[in-house]
Amino acid sequence: MTRNIERSILQQFCRAPVRCVGAGLALVVLASAAPSAEDLFVETIQPTLKQQCLGCHGEANTFAKLDLRTRETAIKGGQRGPAIISGDPASSLLISAIDHAGELQMPPGGAEKRLSADVRLAFREWIRSGAPYVQAATALDWDFDEADLWAFRPVEKVKLPTAGVDPALVRTSVDSFILAKLAEASVAPAPAADKVTLIRRVTYDLTGLPPTPEEVDAFVGDDSPNAYKALVERLLDSPRYGERWGRHWLDVTRYADTSGYSNDFERPNAWRYRDYVIRSFNSDKPYDQFVLEQVAGDELFPDNPDAIIGTGFLRSGPWEHTGMAVAAVSRQLFLDDVTHHVGQSFLGLTLGCARCHDHKFDPIPTRDYYRIQAVFARTAFARRPLDFLPRESTTGFGLGRRPLEARIATLERRLHDLHEAARERLAEAKGREAAADAASSILQRYMEKEEAELLKLLRKRVTMHKLSVLRFEPLAMTVSNGLVREWDAVASRNSYMQPAEYQEAKTHVLVGGDIQSPAQEVTPGVLEAVERYAGFPSPKIPDGIEGRRSELAKWIVNPRNPLAARVMVNRIWQYHFGRGLAANPNNFGKMGKKPSHPELLDWLAGFFVDQAWSVKAVHRVILLSAAYQRASAHPNQAEVDAKDPENLYLSHFSPRRLEAEELRDSIISVAGELSDMTGGPGTYPQINADVALQPRHAMGSLRPIYEPEPTRRRRNRRSVYSFQQRSLIDPMVEVFNGANPDLTCERRESSTVPTQAFALLNSEQSRDMALIMGERLAEIPPVDRIDAAFRLAFGRRADDNELAWTQQFLEEMTDYHGRNPAQPRRPPDDVVHQITSELTGEKFEFVQPAYSGPYEHNPHPSDSSPEARALADLALALFNSNEFVYVY
Amino acid sequence: MKRRILTASPSRREFLYHSGMGLGAIALSGLLHQERARAGELAPRRGHHAAKAKSCIFLLMEGGPSHIDTFDPKSKLVDLHMTEFVKERNRFEASMNTGKRYFVRSPFEFRRAGQLGIEINAKLSNFADCVDDVCFYRGLQATSVNHPTALYHLNTGNRFGGDPAIGSWVTYGLGTENQNLPGFVVLPDLAYPQGGTGNWSNGFLPAHYQGTPLRSQGAPVLDMRPPEYVTQKQQETTLDYLGRLNKRHMQRHPSHAELAARIESYELAFRMQAEMPEAINLDAEPQETKALYGVGSDDSEVDSIGRRCLLARRLVERGVRFVQVIVSGWDSHDYIEKAHGTRLDSIDRPIAGLLKDLKRTGLLDETLVVWAGEFGRSPDNGIRGGGTAWGRDHNAPAMAFWVAGGDAPRGQIVGATDETGRTAVEVVHPIQNMHVTLLHLLGLDDAELTYFAQGRDKQLSQTGGELIRELVA
Repeated sequence: MTRNIERSILQQFCRAPVRCVGAGLALVVLASAAPSAEDLFVETIQPTLKQQCLGCHGEANTFAKLDLRTRETAIKGGQRGPAIISGDPASSLLISAIDHAGELQMPPGGAEKRLSADVRLAFREWIRSGAPYVQAATALDWDFDEADLWAFRPVEKVKLPTAGVDPALVRTSVDSFILAKLAEASVAPAPAADKVTLIRRVTYDLTGLPPTPEEVDAFVGDDSPNAYKALVERLLDSPRYGERWGRHWLDVTRYADTSGYSNDFERPNAWRYRDYVIRSFNSDKPYDQFVLEQVAGDELFPDNPDAIIGTGFLRSGPWEHTGMAVAAVSRQLFLDDVTHHVGQSFLGLTLGCARCHDHKFDPIPTRDYYRIQAVFARTAFARRPLDFLPRESTTGFGLGRRPLEARIATLERRLHDLHEAARERLAEAKGREAAADAASSILQRYMEKEEAELLKLLRKRVTMHKLSVLRFEPLAMTVSNGLVREWDAVASRNSYMQPAEYQEAKTHVLVGGDIQSPAQEVTPGVLEAVERYAGFPSPKIPDGIEGRRSELAKWIVNPRNPLAARVMVNRIWQYHFGRGLAANPNNFGKMGKKPSHPELLDWLAGFFVDQAWSVKAVHRVILLSAAYQRASAHPNQAEVDAKDPENLYLSHFSPRRLEAEELRDSIISVAGELSDMTGGPGTYPQINADVALQPRHAMGSLRPIYEPEPTRRRRNRRSVYSFQQRSLIDPMVEVFNGANPDLTCERRESSTVPTQAFALLNSEQSRDMALIMGERLAEIPPVDRIDAAFRLAFGRRADDNELAWTQQFLEEMTDYHGRNPAQPRRPPDDVVHQITSELTGEKFEFVQPAYSGPYEHNPHPSDSSPEARALADLALALFNSNEFVYVY
Repeated sequence: MKRRILTASPSRREFLYHSGMGLGAIALSGLLHQERARAGELAPRRGHHAAKAKSCIFLLMEGGPSHIDTFDPKSKLVDLHMTEFVKERNRFEASMNTGKRYFVRSPFEFRRAGQLGIEINAKLSNFADCVDDVCFYRGLQATSVNHPTALYHLNTGNRFGGDPAIGSWVTYGLGTENQNLPGFVVLPDLAYPQGGTGNWSNGFLPAHYQGTPLRSQGAPVLDMRPPEYVTQKQQETTLDYLGRLNKRHMQRHPSHAELAARIESYELAFRMQAEMPEAINLDAEPQETKALYGVGSDDSEVDSIGRRCLLARRLVERGVRFVQVIVSGWDSHDYIEKAHGTRLDSIDRPIAGLLKDLKRTGLLDETLVVWAGEFGRSPDNGIRGGGTAWGRDHNAPAMAFWVAGGDAPRGQIVGATDETGRTAVEVVHPIQNMHVTLLHLLGLDDAELTYFAQGRDKQLSQTGGELIRELVA
C-alpha cells in the first residue's frame, strides 16, 4: 500500500499517466481529506525534495550553503537567508523560488521545470502547518511484485513438458511446450500447411523474397522425408538470408546513412556497418561475439576490422550539432541516447525512464542509469582509417565517385566566379591592391543579396558532396576512447563528439536529467537488479580511460546475466511467428507484456547459450517444429476464436502482410528485375518523382534534388541497400509501415490505409515494374503466359476459373491498347527550386537539370506492344492482390 | 448561418466493382472486421468533455517569427538601441550567441487595434479588424533554439522527433467527420519545413492518424492519380479484374479477417480520389471570398498563402479535424525590416480573410485557430553586415502566439514579457502546457488521451502538464 501511494505521488509529480492507478490522487487528498502536514510531507514534499532539490541542496552538494535535508538546516537557510519561515509561506524564500515569483527560480531550467501548481500548493500548506519533517521510506525500496521480475530471474533449466503432449506430433523440443499449452487451453492444433504454402512462408521468412517457380517445383516434387529440412538449410545458406535478418537488426539499431535534423549530413561510412550486420548473420556469428563487437569491439579486438566497424552501433542514433547548439548539451544527448539504446537493444529494458527519476516500474534506480552512462563517458566519435576487407563490396566505386567529383568541380567553379565578380567590384571601390587578396568574408560585402544566397547554397552543396565522396575511402565510422583530435576536412561538426573538450571524465547523477544540475558523482557500473535477482555479482568496471565498455559488454553476454539471451531468442521468435513469446521485445520490464510461454522462452535461452549463441541453431529448432509448419486455417475456427482469439497458443499459423521492403523487393523480383549486387555504399532507388524533385531544406538553404541511380541494374537492388536518408524516406516504404530510423523499431506495424492503395496501384514504380514484367511475359508463348504470371506472383498455377477470366481480361485489354496508343514520355524539364530567402524574405530560385548525367529510363508503354501492355495490367493487378501481399 | 458540408459517398461503381460486384457481396463475412477497421479508427468520437471547437486550423510560422516585431512591441528597445547587451556567460551558451551584442529596436511602426487598443505591427492593417476575436498569449516559452528540434517540440511535444503530431493526437481522440477525406491535413509550402515529414508524423499511433500533406503542385496526394498514359477505362477494367482475384482469394481464406479491410481500403482510396478534387477546388468559391483571402493577388506569396487559408476553411467545413498551414521564411537573423516586412505583407490578408470568413460563416465558434512559430526572437543582435542590417537571433524564453475561436478568450492579452522582450514573466508556461490547453479547447484531456508505446502510456505533453486557465474563456 505504501508503495502504491508513493507511486501515485510520483505519478502526480511527473504526471506520466500510469495504468491502473487513479489519476490525480494527491489532488483528491488535498481537496477532500484535508491531510495532515505529516501526510503531505510523506506523500508529496519529501519525494519532491529528493528528486528536485537535494541533488544540489543536501546530498552531494550544498549549493548556496543551503541544506534542505532537515527542518533545522532548511530554516537556518543559506547565503540568501532562511529558506522556510515556519507558518508563513508567503514570506518563505522556498515558496517564491518554486513559484518563480522572483529572480530566484527553482528547480533551474525555466518554466518547463517548474513544479506543478498542485505540488506548489502542497508546499504552501505544509509550511503553513509548521513544515514538519518525518521519516519515510525512500522511493526505491526494491519492493517489486515477483511477477514483474521474471526477466531478471536466472534462466531456468527447464524439463520438456509431457502432460497432454502427443509424442507423435513433436518434431522439435519447441513442440512439447506448444502442445502442452494447447492441451491446457483445450485447443487442438491445426494440420500441417500444404507444401506450396510452406515454401512460400519459409522463403519469405528467411530471405524476404518469394520462392521462384523452379524452387517451388523442386520442393513440391521432393518426396523425401528430409525435403523440408533441406529447404531450410538451403535458405539459411543463401546470402539473401543475411539481407533479410540483417534488416531486422537494423530496425532495432535505427540504421541510417545520415544524421538527421536540419543538415541531415551524410554518414559516408555507415554502409560498412550495414554490411557488417548482414555478414554477421550470414556467417552465423555467435551472438555474444556480435554484442561484444558492437559495444566494445575497438577495445576487445583492436586487430579485427569487423569489430572496429561493428562498434559503429554506438553512433546509430540521430543527432546534430550546429552553431545554435551547446556543445556540452549535444554531448549529453549522445550519452543519454547510447545509454538508453544499449539497454533497449541488448537488455530489453527502457533505461531512459530512469534518467530523471528512479524507474517507476522496473528495478532501475537513477544511480544505475548514470553508472551505465559512465561506461561511455570516455567514448569519442572517431572516423578511423581501415582498409576495405576482401569480403566488402567495392564494385562500382568509380561509377559512384566520378559524378560526385564532377559536381564538386562545377560548384567550385561557380563559387570562384562569384568571388571574382565581387573582387572586381571591390577593386573599383577600394583599388586593385585591396582587392587582390581579400578574404571571402570581405568579398561577400560586395555581393548582391541574391549572390550571397547562392554562395550559401553552393557552399552547402560542396560540403555535402565532399562528405559523400568519403563513402569510397577506406574509413570506418566508429568510436575510440579519450580525446581524439582528428578533425575532418569537411563538416567537422558531424564528428564533433569528443568527450574531454567539454566534459570532465567524471559522471554525475543529473537532477531531472538536466546537465546544469549535477548531483552526486558515480563510477561506471551495471544494473544492481541483476545481482539482486539473478545472483550474478556485478563486475568491477575500471574507471580509467580504457576497458569500461569491455566490462559492460562482457557482463551483458555472460550467461549468468539472464537478459541478453532471453531478449534475443524472443526477437527471433517474433520474426518467425509475428509475435514474441514476450510481446514487447524491447521491454522486458513490468510494462511489457508477460511471456505467453515462459518455460519455452527459458528453454530457448538456455538452448541458445548451449549452442554457442548460434542464431541459426535457434532458427532450426523453431522452423523444423510442427508449430511453425501448421496451416493458417484451423478446421475448427469458431472454437479457436472463442478460446484463443489472438492465437497466443499457436494452434495455427497467423498470416502476415509483407513488410515494406519485402513488398518492393518482391515486385522487382517477380518482374525479373532484381539486381544481384550486394553491399557497398547506399543505392538510390526510383522513388515518387514529386518527392524526388521537391525542394528540401538544408539548414536555411536548399538540398540537391534526389536522383535515382542512372542504370536499372543499380537502382533495382534490394531495399536493404537503399540509401537511408532520415529526412527523406521513400514514400513507398513509409506508407507500408517501414521502420522510422529515428526510433528503435521492435516490431513492424501492418496497418491498412488508403494511401497504400494509391502507392501500389498508381505509382510509377509499380507501373514501371508491371510493364517490365509484361514485356518479359510477352516473350513467352501465349498459352504459357498466365500460368507463368501466377507462378511468379503466387507460387501456384491459375485454376480453370482464373484462367478463363484472365484470358478474357487480357483479350479485352490487348484490344483496347491496340486502339489506344499511350501518350509518349515527356522529356524531363529542368527543375526550378524556390525558397524564401532568409536575408530578404523574397523568393530565391535555383535551376538544375532533373538528371545530372545520362539516365537509363525504364520502358514506357508508348514503346510497348498492346500484348505487353495488357500483360502489364495483369502484373499490376497481381501486385495489388491480397494473395500477393499476404503470407500464409 | 453555420456551414458544414458533409457530402455523401459518391458512387463507387466506376472504381472497383462495376460489374455488379459491389463490396457488400464480397465482404459479408468480413463485415464486422470491416466496420472496426474503418469506423473504429477514424469514426467521429466524443471528446472527454464538452468544448465548442470541433476542429483546429494551426497556422505554423516556420523559422521563428519575432514577437517583438509583431504582437509584443517594446518601447524600451528604442531607448536601448545599439547599447551593448551584457549577459552572464557560461559554458551552456551556444556559439552563435557569443561575441559582442547590442540591443536593437524594432524597425516597424505599431498601431492600436480592437476595443482594448492592442498594439500590433502596423503592416497588419487587415488583421487589425480581427483583433477583437483574438487572444494574444505572451507567456509561452519554448526550450530549444534549433529549428528542427523546436519545430518537433511545438508540433509533437518531443524535441527529438518521432512522436505523434498534435493533429495525430486530436484525430486519434476525436476521429474525423468525413471518412472520405484524411482527418489530419497539412498544407506546407512547396518546400517542407525543417525536420520534414516528422512534423506531421503519426509516431507510434496507428497510420490512420498520419498527417496527409496536400501538395500545391502535381497530385495533391502522392499517387492519387495514375500516370498520364493510364486511361480511366484501363484503370476500371484492371480494378474489376483485381476484384475477382481478391474475391476468389477470400473464398479460399474465409477466416482471414484482414482481407476485407484491405479491399475496403481500396474503396476508401477511391472515395478520397473522388472527393478531393471538389474539396480543393477553389474555383467554386465566389470572387468576393477569394478576394477576401488575397487569392488572385498580384503578389504570388499573398496568393499562395491565401489559397492555403481558404483551402483550410473548405477542409474544416467538410469535416476535416485538423489542418495545419505552414508558412516559412521567418528566420530573420539579418535585415529583419525587409525580411519580416515581406512576410507580414504576405500573411496579412490571407489570415485576416480566414478569421473574417470563419466568423461570418459561423465556423469560428467551432474552429480553433492557432498562430505560432517554433520560438521567438532576441531583443539583441550581433553586429553583422557592418551594423546596418540588423535582425534578431533565436530566443526561446519568449515568443509569439495567438489563439482564436472556440472557447478561447476574445480580444485579450494574456501574460507578459519583460521590458526588453527577452523572457516571459507573467502567466509563464512551457510548450507542454500549451499542448494541454489546446487539447482542452478541443474537448480532450491530455492525461486521458494516451497510447501505450515504448513501455508506458504516452501522451502529447510527454509527462503531463497543466491547463493554462487564462486561455479558456
